[in-house]
Amino acid sequence: MDHSPATSIDAPDSGAKKLRGQNRLRLVAMCFTASFLAICAQLGYLSVYKNLGIASEPVAQYEPRLPRPDIVDRNGRVLATDISVASLFAEPNKIIDVDEAVELLTAADPALDAKMLRTRLSQSKKGFVWLKREVSPELKEEIFNLGIPGIGFRYETRRIYPMGRLAAHILGYVDLDSVGIAGIEKYLDDQGAIYTASLADPESRTTTPAYTTIDIRVQHAVADELAKAVVKFRAIAGGGIVLDVETGEVVAMVSLPDYNPNATDKNLSKSQQNMMTSGVFELGSVIKAITFAMAFDYGTTDLNGRYDTRAPLIIGRNSISDYHPMRRIITVPEVFTNSSNIGTAKMALEVGLERHQAFLERVGLFDRLTTEIPESAKPLLPKRWSKIASATAAFGHGFAVQPLQGLQVVAGLLNGGLMIPPTFIKRDKETARSLGKQIVKPETSEKMRYLFRLNAEEGTAANAEVPGYRIGGKTGTAEKVVSGRYVKDKRLSSFIGAFPMEAPRYAILVMLDEPQALPETYGFATAGWNAVPTAGKIIARIAPMLGIDLKLSPEDREKLEKQARIEAKKALVKAN
Amino acid sequence: MLKFINTCLVAAVLASAFILYSLEHQTRTAERDIGKLGNAIKDERESIKLLEAEWSNLTRPERLQSLADAHLHMKPVTQLQMVEEGEIAARVPVEPIMKLEEDGKDTIGDILKAME
Repeated sequence: MDHSPATSIDAPDSGAKKLRGQNRLRLVAMCFTASFLAICAQLGYLSVYKNLGIASEPVAQYEPRLPRPDIVDRNGRVLATDISVASLFAEPNKIIDVDEAVELLTAADPALDAKMLRTRLSQSKKGFVWLKREVSPELKEEIFNLGIPGIGFRYETRRIYPMGRLAAHILGYVDLDSVGIAGIEKYLDDQGAIYTASLADPESRTTTPAYTTIDIRVQHAVADELAKAVVKFRAIAGGGIVLDVETGEVVAMVSLPDYNPNATDKNLSKSQQNMMTSGVFELGSVIKAITFAMAFDYGTTDLNGRYDTRAPLIIGRNSISDYHPMRRIITVPEVFTNSSNIGTAKMALEVGLERHQAFLERVGLFDRLTTEIPESAKPLLPKRWSKIASATAAFGHGFAVQPLQGLQVVAGLLNGGLMIPPTFIKRDKETARSLGKQIVKPETSEKMRYLFRLNAEEGTAANAEVPGYRIGGKTGTAEKVVSGRYVKDKRLSSFIGAFPMEAPRYAILVMLDEPQALPETYGFATAGWNAVPTAGKIIARIAPMLGIDLKLSPEDREKLEKQARIEAKKALVKAN
Repeated sequence: MLKFINTCLVAAVLASAFILYSLEHQTRTAERDIGKLGNAIKDERESIKLLEAEWSNLTRPERLQSLADAHLHMKPVTQLQMVEEGEIAARVPVEPIMKLEEDGKDTIGDILKAME
């Protein structure tokens, strides 16, 4: 060993033999050990401890947005869907030959403005310019195949409504961020969020479509006939609903004027709103059906009852008279088929004020009807219930209601007394029955069916008769209230009916706002001359689609053959 | 002896490295295929949606009605042309009418021909 003089602090007095720099070595070794231990500890922490689940949740989670469900009709026809549309952009700093690019692009799409293209593409310092938003798939393919450097596409999702105006009021629409702001679209985001979530499959990031109750063929038939009627009778608006009586499903609902949901700028006027749910109207004599059902159900009268309609009914300072005065004692079916105000008011007075209110409460006419469509209006009822209020409410005066709600009640009166809340999302019969509410006895419903059928055979709704489909219905012509007063020549005519009457499957409502009298209606503008024949035409078109079986009696056949002969003759005259 | 063991070990290292890299290569190819197929599925879904929307737009009842009015000499079915379920047997002709074209009675066929 080298006994050189000690240069380090270790004293030579210890006598131990030590290498030079041994301590330094030890220090380095300790450093290494410490860092390896740290690495091991970290490894252990990350691989073992974290996986034990003791550690907290991740700070941020990336959740991809699920696609918005399509909306389809009851047969699966697409009513609303998301498509990705390509928009054409350019990166001017990457474009090699501006002239060539402009030439190729304008050749592919003549609608592109060459001058605009040239100025945009010549800004060689810019990194990004839009050339055309929302390019069609064919054009996209064509431009893509041109392979111009510096030209590209960006994709955006857009909600489209392939059926256009048809069913626009039911579907509603979405805003620019794909958030529903009206109709079913709003329902999918708001109250129906759970339903929407049930349609989604997060694993494959797909959604199954939302099945609505609408049958697009029926919807079109109703819209088409209604549009013709609005033009023919020069009405300011029109509406129609077809309701499945057994399930409460709305098969068609039309409100004219409507709008195009595909338009980007939807500046809707008040008349374009959905009258069928967001407006309340005095349905007039249609409401008499409710009064009749009430009187039958309380047992204050039956089909053999008789009412004196010889003189107007005087209550206090008011007098109630008839539109078609009978001036004799008439039976209950006659009160219905002649739509006698006096008779109906007397029936309501027999029932009494309190029971009248209780019955209206029972059929839900004191509450707002809510469906999947968020736009809904509360019924307007008389503020104070007096004798006169009850008597006039009996025939629909001073009593405004959503047309859909009115139809719901009548459908309930006709289907055996079970009132089922209407819906726009497909449901089965069992669910519908469990949601239903018994409002009248089945016997009452039977009597109502008899009256409705009788009225379509020989009463005010006779013009709706379509041989073979057993229609029943009630008409209503209400004078409109303008600044607090009833105006004689401004009318709202309506028809509520159902078919086939022996066991109703569908209920229908047709409404025309301010229809005008025509020479062919002999100067009449009451429901029997406009809303009723319109409903007849609609039923003749939709009954075969809805699978209603035809039953022609020999008389029906004769009548139809006669009609066919007359029409053939007319056609012959025209041809000559 | 030691030399032999070393040679074996080197061979084993080489073999395992080869297996490892070929496995990784396979995995990468599979991953790329998955990605490609996923994109292809997405594209197909997208185009199905687009085609469905187009189909729906082209078969708008409104459009079909105007096309039918313009190009077909047909009228809506009337009740007289319909037969009740129970009556079908009674309405079927005993001898089926055949060879409509030869008899010159094939009205629908004539319409179809006229359209071509």
